[in-house]
Amino acid sequence: MIKTSNLTKTYNEVTVLNIENLEIPKGQSFGLVGNNGAGKTTYFSLLLDLIQPTTGFIKSKDVLVSESEDWKPFTSAFIDESFLIGYLTAEEYFYFIGELRGQNKQDVDALLAQFEDFFHDEILNKKKYLRDLSKGNQKKAGIVAALIGNPEVIILDEPFANLDPTTQIRLKGIIKDLAQTKGVTVLVSSHDLLHVTDVCERIVVLEKGEVIKDLATNPETLKELEAHFSGVAEV
Amino acid sequence: MFKKFLSLEWKQFRRASYFKKGLAIKILMAFIVLYFGGIALAFGAGVFFIAKKAIPDVDPIETVNKFLVFWFLFDLLFRYFMQQLPVMNVKPLMVIPIKRSTVIHFLLGKTSISFFNILPLFIFIPFSIVMLFHGYPVLNVLGWFISVVAITLCLNFTNFLVNKNNVVFYSILTVLAVFVGLEYYNVFKISEPIGNAFNFLYNNPYIALLPIGILVLLYKATFNFIKKGFYLDDAVSKKVKEVNATDLSWLNRFGSVAPFIKNDVKLIWRNVRPKQVMMMSFMFLFYGLFFFTQDTYKEMPALLAFASMFITGGFLISFGQLVPSWDSEYYKMLMSQNIPYKQYLESKWYLMVFAVIISFILATPYIYFGWDIYAMIAAGAVFNVGLNSFITLFGGALNRVPIELNVKAKAFSNTNGFNPVQLLISLPKVFLPMILFYIPYKLIGFNAGLITIALSGVLGIVFRKYIFNFIVNVYKKGKYKTIAAFSEKK
Repeated sequence: MIKTSNLTKTYNEVTVLNIENLEIPKGQSFGLVGNNGAGKTTYFSLLLDLIQPTTGFIKSKDVLVSESEDWKPFTSAFIDESFLIGYLTAEEYFYFIGELRGQNKQDVDALLAQFEDFFHDEILNKKKYLRDLSKGNQKKAGIVAALIGNPEVIILDEPFANLDPTTQIRLKGIIKDLAQTKGVTVLVSSHDLLHVTDVCERIVVLEKGEVIKDLATNPETLKELEAHFSGVAEV
Repeated sequence: MFKKFLSLEWKQFRRASYFKKGLAIKILMAFIVLYFGGIALAFGAGVFFIAKKAIPDVDPIETVNKFLVFWFLFDLLFRYFMQQLPVMNVKPLMVIPIKRSTVIHFLLGKTSISFFNILPLFIFIPFSIVMLFHGYPVLNVLGWFISVVAITLCLNFTNFLVNKNNVVFYSILTVLAVFVGLEYYNVFKISEPIGNAFNFLYNNPYIALLPIGILVLLYKATFNFIKKGFYLDDAVSKKVKEVNATDLSWLNRFGSVAPFIKNDVKLIWRNVRPKQVMMMSFMFLFYGLFFFTQDTYKEMPALLAFASMFITGGFLISFGQLVPSWDSEYYKMLMSQNIPYKQYLESKWYLMVFAVIISFILATPYIYFGWDIYAMIAAGAVFNVGLNSFITLFGGALNRVPIELNVKAKAFSNTNGFNPVQLLISLPKVFLPMILFYIPYKLIGFNAGLITIALSGVLGIVFRKYIFNFIVNVYKKGKYKTIAAFSEKK
């Protein structure tokens, strides 16, 4: 589904990302972990063509991301609050995204109805602009907006941060369901090792822009990751 | 403690983003500040002579006193509109162990050295000096000067107290309009009694204690007001108003452009900054009054052509030059969605065209100055729709300054949308209508000039598909740069 090859990103002669080869098959739930500055957000930004690769390329479903725009209809993302339009209410925002993705009001309503639990009655019909919602609630709105329009690739940067425990658990359910039953390729980054190991079939550890571990999740993975990161702390 | 605060403020000032701009802009900014400062100084020094010349039998100080009331009312309005209150900066200070009163005193002290309080000094100090040179008694001039400054500061704190209160704003606006009207038609001259009061004050300098007293009271009132509200949930955190989702589905008739138009309407309606731009562009409607009322300009129809273009072009220019900056807060999202640039731009274009049409309708009273003028405004409107709109959008595409939508623009500290490219782009906006008019006017005649202006607009409308494509390419080329610039922290 997503093929990364010889991808590097350099700022002022400092290489912040250097991925030689990384392939993510369709329907995989893919987790990216790493300390601050490891290159997670850089990689996601490259996936969305928000920054230009220094060398190499990413192909999403055989579309060259930095050349064509044909990947956009089947890709969606929530990276940070700058993906929200602050002066809209949550509903207006969902409908706007829906319109961009060729979904009418009924389609969007039908999708939103599935997430009533997830919203926990804090998003819809609140008569508040998105900019006035709490960080956690903004995130909920952004994540659900990323699910509008049946995307085949969903990219979520730090989706668990700022969420309350109940919502975190519900979000895990949503992500698992997307990948396992709907065949959606989900890319998630997180600082929370427990959550990623719970959710992702495969976990890649980035350090200083390079892939240093590529694990298929099994019961031992969490321990291995914990050992790795405490090792980093000791050095 | 105050010293620490001061050093913090200094750092905030020095490290503000507008200081990190290019040298050219710094120099330009310096020039602008010098220019306006110079004008204020010259005006302050000149007022004495102007007053003397205009009404020779009356002592200039009395003439000035007469108009002070309008000055102060206007000052208050201007402040309401432009002055930013520093309440928001309190947040980080609330949890550290400093006495609350110290922070508030500092805060209030800070507001009193704002641009709005310094500008009057630039006018009143030279005026007072000129008076002293003309042998006016020192004590009286000093008393008068102190009173004026005290009243200015009173306005400063009044603005603090009534801030964001629309009722107060509109009542002041009405009062000002009514007084100006009554004055103009000689029904009742408010300037007389208030002028007399100021004359009395001037003749009895000890009365300066009165405004000072009021100032002290207002300071205390503001102090208490802030102290009461010195909790996160009151003053600092913004008030969350309940919003009613507006149904704009009637805009769906615009087809594929509709989602963007709906969004843009909300953008303008729900954010402070674009609203400010809208109010400002309303002022442009009156621009013609400067030109059409003066006989000197009758001989220079090229200048009139320029003025006519401005009358209907206020919103177009001030809004259009900041496309796409208006969407800077969520530009990353737009770029990761499958948005067609053309529709995005078309939506903004429709808005601008709509604004031109509205302005043109509102400009109907200009018929009073003759059909020639009105025809000129009409030609200017066509030029705006067909050509100026595209020049402005093109300029905007090269402009990569992020905008905080819900923050008022500050006077002078705001360089958003201000760069050399922008300046270059704005040149054709000003000179093109003049040239388009002047050449055929000289060669053939007045009407030929008008037709040329209008025709240029029609051409733009006819070829708009190509022009849109051209601008879209500019967008595509600058995509990464724009994203990077917009995601920079302000």
